[in-house]
Amino acid sequence: MTAVELSGVTKTFGECIAVDDLSLAVPEGTVYGFIGPNGSGKTTTLRMIMNIFFPDSGVVRVFGERLKGSSTDRIGYLPEERGLYTKMKVRDLLCFYGDLKNGSNIPAEVDRWLERLELSEWANRKIETLSKGMSQKVQFISTVVARPRLVILDEPFGGLDPVNAESIKDAVLELKRNGSTVIFSTHDMNVAERMCDFIFMIFKGKKVLDGTLTSIQDLYGADTLRVDCEAGASAVEKLPGVEKVNDYGRVQEIRLEDRTDTQEILAAIMARTRIRRFEITRPSLHDIFVRIARPEGGGTNHD
Amino acid sequence: MTKTLKIAKREYKAAVRTKGFIIGLLLFPVLMGGSFIAMAVLRGQVDTTDKVVAVIDHSGFIADAVIRAAEQRNAGEVLDEGTGKKVKPAYLFEVVDPAGQDPAELRLDLSGQIRRGRYHAFLEIPGDIVHPTDGGKTPSVSYHAENAALDDLRGWLGNPINNAVRRQRLLDAGIDPDSMKGLFQWAQVEGMGLLTRDSVTGEVKDAVRSSEIQAIAAPMAIAFLMFMMVMMGAVPLLQTVMEEKTQRIAEVVLGSASPFEFMFGKVLGGVGVSLTAAAVYIFGSLFVIGQMGGMGYVPLRVIPWFFAFLLLAIVMQGALLAAVGSACNDAKDAQNLTFPAMLPIMIPMFVMFPVLKEPMSAFATGMSFIPPFTPMLMLLRLSTPGGIPAWQPWVGLVGVLLCTILAVWAGGRIFRVGILMQGQPPKIGRILHWAIKG
Repeated sequence: MTAVELSGVTKTFGECIAVDDLSLAVPEGTVYGFIGPNGSGKTTTLRMIMNIFFPDSGVVRVFGERLKGSSTDRIGYLPEERGLYTKMKVRDLLCFYGDLKNGSNIPAEVDRWLERLELSEWANRKIETLSKGMSQKVQFISTVVARPRLVILDEPFGGLDPVNAESIKDAVLELKRNGSTVIFSTHDMNVAERMCDFIFMIFKGKKVLDGTLTSIQDLYGADTLRVDCEAGASAVEKLPGVEKVNDYGRVQEIRLEDRTDTQEILAAIMARTRIRRFEITRPSLHDIFVRIARPEGGGTNHD
Repeated sequence: MTKTLKIAKREYKAAVRTKGFIIGLLLFPVLMGGSFIAMAVLRGQVDTTDKVVAVIDHSGFIADAVIRAAEQRNAGEVLDEGTGKKVKPAYLFEVVDPAGQDPAELRLDLSGQIRRGRYHAFLEIPGDIVHPTDGGKTPSVSYHAENAALDDLRGWLGNPINNAVRRQRLLDAGIDPDSMKGLFQWAQVEGMGLLTRDSVTGEVKDAVRSSEIQAIAAPMAIAFLMFMMVMMGAVPLLQTVMEEKTQRIAEVVLGSASPFEFMFGKVLGGVGVSLTAAAVYIFGSLFVIGQMGGMGYVPLRVIPWFFAFLLLAIVMQGALLAAVGSACNDAKDAQNLTFPAMLPIMIPMFVMFPVLKEPMSAFATGMSFIPPFTPMLMLLRLSTPGGIPAWQPWVGLVGVLLCTILAVWAGGRIFRVGILMQGQPPKIGRILHWAIKG
């Protein structure tokens, strides 16, 4: 079954087209990653799924039904900008948010999640006493405490340290195992690559990528050469047949032009320096993202 | 609707559990009671230093009459009969002979002596006080002091001077003043209410004496209470909605509830806060007044109207203030819009006195039918001893109800757009556009 279906959805704000004729189908029980540069329409799309914004045209369906007020009870939503009542106690706040979703057995679920994310001893403290990381975990619990079938997370890992990010990642995967569908937006391409069953990229309001990581990478072929050589970036500059070089310091990622022979490039580099290690690979999601969002010509990027 | 009630419940609990609410609830009666206590205490705190007054008496006999009256007063009022403690200042008069002195220089000299503390004041009695020589002009006596306008002694002097003048005029007319003691007795015009017939016995009931408490204090207290409750229940919504928008709480709540449910929940929370405070004040006041035996002064028939108008006033004003709050992006925006948003609450306060003085005038009646002003002004008119025609509060109530529905509808449309709109300054034209076009 399809958890979320968008058909020809368009949303404008004044003269600005935020989302342009977008169609999308999110299968139930999957983790669906939304990627795209800032201002590309991710949050607007998520808000339309949440029924916070209404599309100017097109249809949004959640679990096969056109959106109406009660649809949102089955959706947990973590907005990009966190919002918590700072004067409320943690448990009271979570019960309020869970109750607002018409969830059942909320107090027990609140306690389970507080324990799961190691916040039990903060249950009776006010939100204003929590650290930023703890507040984000509380916000995450508020999103999932009513056991929604669909969870929408807008930048769930933003600002979290690796330990807290790991906790949230495990929680997201647990939601998936329990049958929930998870849609999350992220700027972290590694997270998207590792966690998402499907990846959707929106750019200037239009869908530019939609599929599994493999299918997306297949579109671009094995056109990338990753090398670790003694001379570093200087050894790979201005080579014929090279479209672009991403310099990561210790490793250089070389994007080849069409029909360029990998062996010839390797030979050219070996003529300049000694190669310690090399790999012929498909482009990373990060690289694909940059190719779409910053379609500049050749040269070296020092990331 | 259940989500609205859940939001209202949270709002209500968040407001009434704060120290600010409890302190505010207690502080108002403490301040009101405190000011009465202070007045009562300060009434006893009289400056008992003797007051010496210089008298320039051109008439030649008034000063003697004043001195005799002062001696009589000093003998009877200065000392407490029971304790013998001095409770009032003695009034002492020294006659200054103006003969051979320049009048202006004499007055200047006495003014200087008052400044130096030698005298409290000086009094100049004209020679023609009994029969003024300048036609029908009212004779006057000059009383000079550093703060003459608020001087108790000046007020006291009126009686002995006028008694002496009247006595002299009677003597000059050949009438024995002692035979005409009741001649100048003042007749009071007493304010009375209208008579009614007892519906059960059919007897005509005596009119009740109309008191200042019934005519002024009770209506004003009720109107002030309405004002305070609106300030307590509706006005904070502008600030809290703005905060929830800027702190992004609004977006989280909107993930679970519609903008209308969110806004109306907040408004109902404000209604709950106001009704709680109003109930505490009204039933607390009735208890205290009942204990003091003053229930006769309380217009009990107004209380149901008070709660009906209060409920609608909070919903009407609260919806508009929440809508305005949703259009604000920061505290400065909210500050700028607070005054215009509060005008419908402030204007009835500005016109309270003329309405109270003539509650049946065309102005008072017309103003009380303008829905944003109706709750306060209709209540004020209802509370006056004469009351108003029975149909007027009902029509006023219907007007407020319709205006409330309109305010909630327009507020909901503004709120829906404003709450997620960032970076656009809240201009009145834009807010109206959101209300009309959505």
